[in-house]
Amino acid sequence: MKQYFLSKDNFFKWVELLGQEYQVYAPLKKEEFLLYEKINSENIRNIVLDTKRAVHPLKSFFTPAYRKVAEYFVSSSESSKKSEKRILLGVKACDLKALKITDSVYQGEEFGREYKDPFYIQARENTLIISSDCKEPDNSCFCTLVGGNPYPQEGFDLNLSSLEEGYVVEVGSSKGEEVVQKNPGFFTDVEEKAISKKQRNREKVIKLVNRINKDLKVNTPYRELIKDTYDSPVWLKYSEKCVDCGGCNQICPTCRCFLLSDVKTGDKYQRYYLWDACLLTGFARVAGGANPRPWLHQRFANRLFCKFYFFPENINLDACTGCGRCISVCIGKIDMREVFRDLAIEKKIPIGQEK
Amino acid sequence: MKNPYQPVKANILEVIEETPQIKTFVLKPENHLEFKAGQFVQLTVPGVGEGPFTPSSSPYEKEKIELTIMRVGKITSALHNLKENDVVGLRGPFGNEYPIAEWKNKEILIVGGGVGLAPLRSLFLSLTHNLESYRKVVLCYGARTPQDIVYKKAILDEWQEKYRGKVSFRITVDKGDESWKGKVGLVTTTLDGIEEEISNVQENPVVVCGPPIMMKFTTLKLLDVGYQPANIYLSMEKNMSCGVGKCGHCQLGRFLVCRDGPVFTYEQIKDIPAIWD
Repeated sequence: MKQYFLSKDNFFKWVELLGQEYQVYAPLKKEEFLLYEKINSENIRNIVLDTKRAVHPLKSFFTPAYRKVAEYFVSSSESSKKSEKRILLGVKACDLKALKITDSVYQGEEFGREYKDPFYIQARENTLIISSDCKEPDNSCFCTLVGGNPYPQEGFDLNLSSLEEGYVVEVGSSKGEEVVQKNPGFFTDVEEKAISKKQRNREKVIKLVNRINKDLKVNTPYRELIKDTYDSPVWLKYSEKCVDCGGCNQICPTCRCFLLSDVKTGDKYQRYYLWDACLLTGFARVAGGANPRPWLHQRFANRLFCKFYFFPENINLDACTGCGRCISVCIGKIDMREVFRDLAIEKKIPIGQEK
Repeated sequence: MKNPYQPVKANILEVIEETPQIKTFVLKPENHLEFKAGQFVQLTVPGVGEGPFTPSSSPYEKEKIELTIMRVGKITSALHNLKENDVVGLRGPFGNEYPIAEWKNKEILIVGGGVGLAPLRSLFLSLTHNLESYRKVVLCYGARTPQDIVYKKAILDEWQEKYRGKVSFRITVDKGDESWKGKVGLVTTTLDGIEEEISNVQENPVVVCGPPIMMKFTTLKLLDVGYQPANIYLSMEKNMSCGVGKCGHCQLGRFLVCRDGPVFTYEQIKDIPAIWD
């Protein structure tokens, strides 16, 4: 892939220019949190590109928690609001991996065959993704345990690898190249030295993630580990700490379950899409009252079965990116890496890194 | 691009009271909705919400579509308050159908419980449309009391008359009353001696629909009698919200009921935990 160099100074000038054509969103530090905010000339210098993933999962941009998806029985034709042209800046590799899952659900053939979500597709088309390497993984990060890396390899339009003096810019799509060519003056040829530095940084971060997880690594993929564990006491043990809040569902970048809810406003009937959470008691309950998962430990297990059984069976991908948001958000301090470690112990499979 | 969440308007032509809790809604959709027996639709009660239901009318009926619905929750209660000329919404059809094309020359057993007869009526009407294609059709049905029997006139009288000698009927109620002259017993008792009706249960299909507990015990009994798991067709009840494979509510093991069902063979789902709950 084509690479360029972008100096720190040029970076800010470039983003400011991009802001004239696009709404630019990037992670900003708010107290101890990294949150996506709309970028303007005042906050542009506070963009944090090279630490870790932000709190917001990217699904909030493509399938917001509450969005109108239909208006029915109205004579006036639905005004299709043109969605804004956006740039998401500072997206991490784990977030890109999550987009693969939501892409397959909302615009792929595997889920719902010919039925696609036109709102998601439009939002994806109108969004340019400029990702960046992760350099300071969080204690909850474990991308390398689920087959990922802390730096983007696919799914981006442009990727920025930060060095002290600037960024190595990698082009990931023709859309990305077009954006570079709009303001070619900011970009220079990248020196061999910078590329090898970028590579060294990446290896360093892999080591960091591995060190964070040295006692939690299991030498068997999670999708193998979870097989035939439906009745394991491990689910009971960990669900004892679960307060049934559904926070892990809401913050998870691949949790995509939703509910359609109808309201009448004035003389209009409207249908809304709302995020739902499989941890909540009523999630699978039918109107007659029957519930396949009345117990919390069943719902707790179900969430991970969805990630490591349902999705692998359907599209051969784990629906977990190792972003660790479910660990950071959990009030009960439940860590899914420990759940899998215990499943491994139960199955007498070795844990921890060899070296 | 087509919006899969958008319902089409349908007028209520008629509301038929089947039992105190169950009504059949005869609908005329603005755009004709072509379905096959077993598939489901999403029915919108305007401003209240949507629920998945399987049509009970014949797929060959092109002018209207009928849904037989029990009052159980928020949406069905609001629906039961609607009258002739009111408007509802429809999306679909979604999911798979009963594979009746594979059942040529078979002896087909149908077992329904309560309002679960609704999709089976659609199936029955599909089969009787070309009755000569099948060697035999046996319809077993159980309701709680004589009052709870749906399509009473058809099932107790008209169909029996019309298909005399071609279709056998085995109808029972859990609890009779002074007017009831028929059999009393759970629906599973209609399967006693089924071997006398069906010559080779190992090679013939059976279709079951009803409340989960009924489906469970009927399936167990069918296995006992010698039916093969791959020949037992079950209509699974789940809370499909989107109907188009995205919302996740109807996940069943590795399946989505809206995409891979609602019709499953017992063989497909027998190893999935808690299928009857």
